[in-house]
Amino acid sequence: MSAQNEPSRAATPALSATGPPNGAAHATAAPTRSANRDVGNSHLGTFGVKSGLAQMLKGGVIMDVTNAEQARIAEEAGACAVMALERVPADIRRDGGVARMSDPQMIKEIIDAVTIPVMAKVRIGHFVEAQIIQAIGVDYIDESEVLTPADEQYHINKHPFKVPFVCGAKNLGEALRRVSEGAAFIRTKGEAGTGNVVEAVRHQRAVMADIRRASAMNDEELYVFAKDISAPFHLLKEVARLKRLPVVSFAAGGIATPADAALMMQLGCDGVFVGSGIFKSGDPAKRARAIVQAVTHYNNPKVLAGISEGLGEAMVGLNIDDNVKGGRLASRGW
Amino acid sequence: MGEGNPIVIGILAMQGAFAEHQVLLQKVRVERPIKIVLIRQVEDLAKCDGLIIPGGESTTIALLARLAGLTEPLREFVQKKPVWGTCAGAILLSKEAEGMKKGGQELLGGVDIKTARNGWGSQVESFEAPLYTEGLREPNRPFNCIFIRAPVITDITPSALSPPVQIIARLSALLLPRGQQIVAEDEDDTDPRDPQTVVALRQGRHLVTTFHPELTKDDRFHEFFVKQCVLPALEESK
Repeated sequence: MSAQNEPSRAATPALSATGPPNGAAHATAAPTRSANRDVGNSHLGTFGVKSGLAQMLKGGVIMDVTNAEQARIAEEAGACAVMALERVPADIRRDGGVARMSDPQMIKEIIDAVTIPVMAKVRIGHFVEAQIIQAIGVDYIDESEVLTPADEQYHINKHPFKVPFVCGAKNLGEALRRVSEGAAFIRTKGEAGTGNVVEAVRHQRAVMADIRRASAMNDEELYVFAKDISAPFHLLKEVARLKRLPVVSFAAGGIATPADAALMMQLGCDGVFVGSGIFKSGDPAKRARAIVQAVTHYNNPKVLAGISEGLGEAMVGLNIDDNVKGGRLASRGW
Repeated sequence: MGEGNPIVIGILAMQGAFAEHQVLLQKVRVERPIKIVLIRQVEDLAKCDGLIIPGGESTTIALLARLAGLTEPLREFVQKKPVWGTCAGAILLSKEAEGMKKGGQELLGGVDIKTARNGWGSQVESFEAPLYTEGLREPNRPFNCIFIRAPVITDITPSALSPPVQIIARLSALLLPRGQQIVAEDEDDTDPRDPQTVVALRQGRHLVTTFHPELTKDDRFHEFFVKQCVLPALEESK
């Protein structure tokens, strides 16, 4: 698969291109060569399997839900996955205090209620919360700045886990640091719980601009660029070759309307997360369905016009400045 | 139809890994050029000679197809032309499915199999395994099969009028999910009577894989679909 033949930004590379740098323990299964045509061993939790689920979520919408009933509404509306959490980001902002991993019982109720993948959030650096979430059979973990960080220096080493991780990023360097720690899926941080898409746009544009810059560089320049953005060189080189992130990348943080979702898709995202935007709006089921359609038909303004009609009240948005209630969440993580 | 006429292959682009299928399909070389169309609207479907339904979430794909008015046109397409379903696509091509969302979900049918959704369990049970295949190019080179929350085929019963089923790949019974494991009386763990071990099959011009060839760099399944399913169907319809 040469870079010239890449048809579009949307094609995430095949798994071998994205293997973790120190992934010896999770190396892709080597084909067996035995003469009696025995099958080889199977391998759980490889990077290919982890990033593979993210690839199945592409072109889809992942919705924040706080109970089984909301999860069912999301599934009926066409969500490709749900994010189980106790409070949506808008409420975390309102209530303040320390936001932690959700009650495992509540997550299990959601798992039982739906057939689509279920994700759950853990605090940045809180690897024990991640162990617990993995143990209850969640499909994906979000190491999320929306919860209060548990470690101000280190993110979770995500390679040893069988369950895959998604992480937020504001720029290319941050995205590649997360991938090097084992994240199999990247999202913009945006500014969760605001209903204001401006930060997600800023982050997505920053990532795409750096990708374009890198893809025009020779190796000498890439070494220096890797230093400048504090990214591992081999991952940056892969980005330059592919002209996209080496893993699936979604938009998140502040998406409230079908138009917001389509905007993020046209800016090069593979799909979107919608948090407070759905269940803080007037008609969640209708809005959720419209956002799902917007992500599929993002390039078709006629369809977008039709699905944007009569959706009722959108969530109340917040202006993002230094006084925003709950503070800037995107500045958490390093 | 002249030699230069392109073969038109549609990829259902509601949700899921459609771009990955596109990349591999572009690698396939046959005597005629291949034109790829991403299907989002009814008009896109009419010109296709064959269709790929990608992996993704079957509930999402089915709902989006319904909202785009594609469900009935797709059902008609499946009756007439070759279709390949991977994972979620395999569920949609099934006659029946187990483990559907509450209230059930829409299927397209077309292949005489019954599938169980998320047959292996959650993502932590997802796996990859190199398997030997029947009928692909270079049969001695195993195909790296990636199973992501994959369905399990629980029954294969071709009706009297439908074409026979050809098994393309099987999994060792040892890799089957708990609860479905076959207690083998003999050494042979690939008993042909056990549908649960079948992970790739063909019925007539339709192809079903419960894993994801589109997540590899190996284009042999894509080549098989074009050469063994789509081209012969075009020959017949001449």
